[in-house]
Amino acid sequence: MTGFEMICEKCEELLQPYLDRELDDSERREAESHLADCGYCKKRYRFEESLRRYVRGACAEEMSPELKARLANLRTPLT
Amino acid sequence: MAEAETDARRLATEARDRVRFEEEVLELADQVYRVARRLVGTREEAEDLVQDTYARAFRSWRSYTPGTNLRAWLMRILTNLNIDRGRRQQRSPDMQPMEEGDYFLYNRLEETTGAEDEARIVERLSQDSIVSALSSVPHDFRDVIVLVDIGDFSYQEAAQILDVPIGTVMSRLHRGRRILKSELAETAVGEDA
Repeated sequence: MTGFEMICEKCEELLQPYLDRELDDSERREAESHLADCGYCKKRYRFEESLRRYVRGACAEEMSPELKARLANLRTPLT
Repeated sequence: MAEAETDARRLATEARDRVRFEEEVLELADQVYRVARRLVGTREEAEDLVQDTYARAFRSWRSYTPGTNLRAWLMRILTNLNIDRGRRQQRSPDMQPMEEGDYFLYNRLEETTGAEDEARIVERLSQDSIVSALSSVPHDFRDVIVLVDIGDFSYQEAAQILDVPIGTVMSRLHRGRRILKSELAETAVGEDA
């Protein structure tokens, strides 16, 4: 018995690296196969995926044009 | 005469390389700022940190090896400066017991909202509550979440930037996300009460 054939608690741990695209090919295939068959994990996977996107969006704050100009001014002057 | 020409050519090549380096670094400014903004508490601190990072990067441009990961190189400067400037209050990684599972937040939101499209349940969380929950995650964990989830760095890159083993990145990320979700669950339930 390997990875995703184990109980869903184990799957819970492996879904995070799956979402982070950090699993190797065979682990990824196992994850996808498990997600195709397990409604419990599939729902939570979709939630986790949305949560990542949502956190990223909520935390995105654009830098001010003033700071951008200040950074450009730090460049070494051409002589 | 030939020596002077060689020197002039060398200086011209160096100037061209430096200009190219500075242009590439400036193109990454938005990404660098997004990460900086979530590593520190305020916009002003983030702006100072980014400005200091760029000043140091421009001074140290010769220490960058062309063709290697420029984004990670910059971020390493930024995280080191952040530590040097004493903006972090170091906390022990084990100080908060976390028994909740990864699905805790989903389970909690599902309980309070009933059956709903799981991809849309997150929309019940306000943007402010997410920013506030992230800022309450202890620094050691938050740094990794910010690098991986907001900066889009791999585990390996985050390990290099923070100068910790990859296993530490993985465990901090795992634990940090649980802390974040626990904070969000409290907020969500609090708002329902």
